[in-house]
Amino acid sequence: MTIANPVSSAAARWAAGDAPARPESYLQASRRRFLHNRVGLGALAVLSALIAMSLLAPLLTSYDPAIGAATARLRPIGAPGHLLGTDEQGRDMLTRILYGGRMSLIAGLTPVALATVIGTALGSLSGFLGRWVAAVIMRTMDMFYAFPAVLLAIAISASLGPGLVNQIIALTIIYIAPIARVAEAATRRIVVSEFIEAARLSGASTSRIILTQVLANIFSPIFVYASGLVGLAIVTAASLSFLGLGVRPPTPEWGFMLNALRGAIYMNPWVAALPGLFIFLTSISFNMLADTIRDSLDVRE
Amino acid sequence: MLVLVMRRAGMALPTLFGVTLIIYLLLSILPGDPLAGLLPQDATEADRAHLASSLGLDRALPVRYVMWLDDVVRGDFGYSQFRRREVAELISVAWRNTASLAVYSATFGLLTGVALGTLAGVYRGSRVDRFVTGFAIVGLSVPSFWVAILLLILFSAQLKVLPAGGLATFEHGAGNYFAHLLMPVLSGSMVSIAITARVSRASIVETFHAEFVDTLRAKGLREWQVLAHVAKNAASPVLTTAGLQVGFLLGGSVLIETIFSWPGLGQLVFNAIAARDLPVVQATTMVIASTFVLLNLGVDLIQMIFDPRLKRGA
Repeated sequence: MTIANPVSSAAARWAAGDAPARPESYLQASRRRFLHNRVGLGALAVLSALIAMSLLAPLLTSYDPAIGAATARLRPIGAPGHLLGTDEQGRDMLTRILYGGRMSLIAGLTPVALATVIGTALGSLSGFLGRWVAAVIMRTMDMFYAFPAVLLAIAISASLGPGLVNQIIALTIIYIAPIARVAEAATRRIVVSEFIEAARLSGASTSRIILTQVLANIFSPIFVYASGLVGLAIVTAASLSFLGLGVRPPTPEWGFMLNALRGAIYMNPWVAALPGLFIFLTSISFNMLADTIRDSLDVRE
Repeated sequence: MLVLVMRRAGMALPTLFGVTLIIYLLLSILPGDPLAGLLPQDATEADRAHLASSLGLDRALPVRYVMWLDDVVRGDFGYSQFRRREVAELISVAWRNTASLAVYSATFGLLTGVALGTLAGVYRGSRVDRFVTGFAIVGLSVPSFWVAILLLILFSAQLKVLPAGGLATFEHGAGNYFAHLLMPVLSGSMVSIAITARVSRASIVETFHAEFVDTLRAKGLREWQVLAHVAKNAASPVLTTAGLQVGFLLGGSVLIETIFSWPGLGQLVFNAIAARDLPVVQATTMVIASTFVLLNLGVDLIQMIFDPRLKRGA
């Protein structure tokens, strides 16, 4: 009796289309979970539409967002030639909403992106090097934590003056501390694991270990946390603009527009509420998307 | 136990110190001439130099910081040229107004949030749970100043049942008092309700559906007794978030007070920023931040009392 050759029998099974598939990787599993989540997909669709509308603003509308007609003030929604009405200076609302989206999105996304980079660097260094480096960095972060975030943003923004760049700086500063905390905690969990020991023993330098091993592994919780911050950042950026600490007029921006239209609530309430609706839609889409990403990545924090 | 309390309280001191330092540094880079508006048009260089040295503005930054800190500890918050009043007086009036609004908003927000979150957690998966979870995500995405404007549109502009702003004291009628409070409290507490509901729900889900609850029921405890045990265990994350919520409310008070013309710290600091009234901005920010630090200290201490696990290792 001949012993069946395992290699040729496996090959025969493969030829017959019967071979077992490779197990799903973590990323593949995450993507599958994400694509099956209808809420997340819906949020992604809404968000893509909003971003696309803002980017394509010049193609979608022929009005100038900064110039208005004094005779056409506060026209209602659906007025001829003005799909979403006009504002208190006679400027077309649809145009201002579309162009304003750019500023609002930039003011919300950029600070989170910058704070993630800086916060991750600070946090991972603290978690990895430990002792007095960690003490100095994390105690400094604690001092920023002692402020209500919005208040600190207002104080920083007020010190630097109005304008988009200063607004972004202020928001970046307030988000560095929470991200650094998340990064530090995640790094400390990773640092005690064996493959870091192995890397150390094989002679890799500190910076190399951090860049290759640590960052890849702490990426997931930080990404989840940062994506959760985006919705909040958009609302906070709009709050600063609402208080006049953001872009200067006549550049449109949703928060600023909402404040400017405050006086109009008696005459044309729907138009007055419009910018706020878009802030809300953007924020809730980002929040739902972040929740879905977190559930897909199955991160247990 | 007392040692742990003292240690935790002691940690608050360097934080407070750091807070004052950050505020002072931040505001020292405020552009604009601090002497503007204090001197007549025909003032000479000598006059300016004299005024600067009498206000201590010609000394180095660290020296000025220590001088300011020294004044603050003694209760001297400086003088506002813009409002022609002692800053301490301005703050004490504004502080009471902000505190009352914050207390109402916090109480309403936390109670509603805990109630909703508990319902959602206990009846996990039901329609109530889905409603609360959906409401929570809406609540924490919505800008508070937009809610305020929507409420104003509905109740002041359209229905005309509520006043659009201002503060009313209790002596002039309780109905009027609450009418002025309703919209600011509702708009300010929206995010608190949402976050507290979420945290409570998660906490209840973790404790209510845990094994020890089955053990308690098996022992023969009645349902309300079980709930009491669950509440004690679930309270910790909710307390932590409560402290943070009040901080959020204090920060967001700037927006709510501006919209509703509520004469509190938020409005004070905002007008002071616009007028470049430095002493007021410094003092108000410091008061708000210090309140936040002390409040979180209080929350941590309360937690230490309730949770024996924390007593053993801070």
